[in-house]
Amino acid sequence: MSDYLWDKGGEEDPEIERLERALRPLAQSTPPPPLVLRPRPVISNRGRWTGVALLAASVALLAGGVTLALRLQRAVPAWQVTTTKGQSSWRVGGWLETGDREQASVQVADIGTLVVEPRTRLRLLDTRAGRHSLELARGTVHATIWAPPNQFFVDTPSSLAVDLGCAYTLTVDDDGSGLVRVLAGWVGFKWRDRESFIPAGSACPTRPGIGPGTPYNERVSPAYRDALSILDFSPGAPGTAAALTLVLDESAESDEVTLWHLLSRVPDADRDRVFDRLATFVAPPAGVTRAGIRGGDRAMLDAWWDALGLGTTALWRTWSQQWTDNVNHK
Amino acid sequence: MSSAPDTVKTDVACLVRSAQSGDRVAFAELYQRFTRMVHGVVLARIGRADVDDVVQDVFVTALERLGELREPAAFGGWLGTIARHRATDHGRRMPPTETLVHEVAAPGDRDRLEALAILDAIRALPDAYRETLVLRLVEGMSGAEIADRTGLTPASVRVNLHRGMKLLREKLT
Repeated sequence: MSDYLWDKGGEEDPEIERLERALRPLAQSTPPPPLVLRPRPVISNRGRWTGVALLAASVALLAGGVTLALRLQRAVPAWQVTTTKGQSSWRVGGWLETGDREQASVQVADIGTLVVEPRTRLRLLDTRAGRHSLELARGTVHATIWAPPNQFFVDTPSSLAVDLGCAYTLTVDDDGSGLVRVLAGWVGFKWRDRESFIPAGSACPTRPGIGPGTPYNERVSPAYRDALSILDFSPGAPGTAAALTLVLDESAESDEVTLWHLLSRVPDADRDRVFDRLATFVAPPAGVTRAGIRGGDRAMLDAWWDALGLGTTALWRTWSQQWTDNVNHK
Repeated sequence: MSSAPDTVKTDVACLVRSAQSGDRVAFAELYQRFTRMVHGVVLARIGRADVDDVVQDVFVTALERLGELREPAAFGGWLGTIARHRATDHGRRMPPTETLVHEVAAPGDRDRLEALAILDAIRALPDAYRETLVLRLVEGMSGAEIADRTGLTPASVRVNLHRGMKLLREKLT
């Protein structure tokens, strides 16, 4: 079998190419048309509603998702903790502490699960429909959350982790430093005005008094991570310039999220270098200028983020606003 | 970290779970990821003029029944089954003549006529072959993508592509 038929690799097959060319116009359009959902009328058995209910209009579900209010409000059950000793309930305000060799499994209301590693200390801060929060004082938790974004929060000594869906590992050391590793979906890290968005396959450290560092792809080299650590947590220290040079030199297209975060974090004098490097992978969209980025123009940063194709900043900012509304963090 | 395919599966499972709990953004993402597969499955069975409507219907049905899906990682195979049933139902309801009228290209539109002739030849193949070939040749998906989206094993996709292409070459010569 030709590799070309499997994945267009290997030697080209002229006949298959001809068929592809001819048939291409029949393919699904790119982007696909908006998905239009027409809610079906609700008719009760007792005839409280007669005829066809006039449901409000059809709604469009676009990639950015906008209007459909499908969130199901379910009763919030108690959190159940399972360890080798058996099951127990975990109440708001209570601490959960695992021993040196003890692991616990927690049912997070009806929105997910949490695996708690040994030597971990956690407090349940709040649990109600649409909002669940924990304090992780020390240790490691693996969270799998299937609720809509912005419903599950883990407060740590140095940052607030906001679940933007859906699987991640969060570790807090004895000194309050932390690290999040994202397996699927996104996690937002926030401390005061400093925020990081961490996609699947990436990690992000955090430090007390500074907040979240710069997210990085887990495939980057140890030297790259060390260099980012200098930029994030030892700004102005000797070696900062060399650290930035290493990060820029080693960055590839898969590091665009890292570079985007650095745009607003490196000293003003270095922003042009980051600008140029990111521009080699994703061109700055119309209206985004070097001077604007140098000045930290939020609209321009957002526009460039949108150009990365990772979701719109409108969505991120909405969630970000909700963090502020929901959690008076630090 | 898990391997890449595991991550992809986990990712889809998480999206499905989020969608099951009412997250419209997650469902929109599933639509984005799976719409080509559904489009191809439907196009392999019914007239092109009705494909977009049926694709929409498939996703509406999927949204309504999403709560019944026990294994979120099996979303692709489950969605493909809905698509096949919807397309088959639609084909039963629509008289063949109507399909033909919609399929006829404008006079002089040779490229379009050629495309429709090839599509007709693919549609005349056995089910498994025509669907896989439409996904590969029309929708431009790789064999690995087809396996990932439909839930078929890569080995099955390889066989379907190979045998289907052999039959198609014979039909077109």
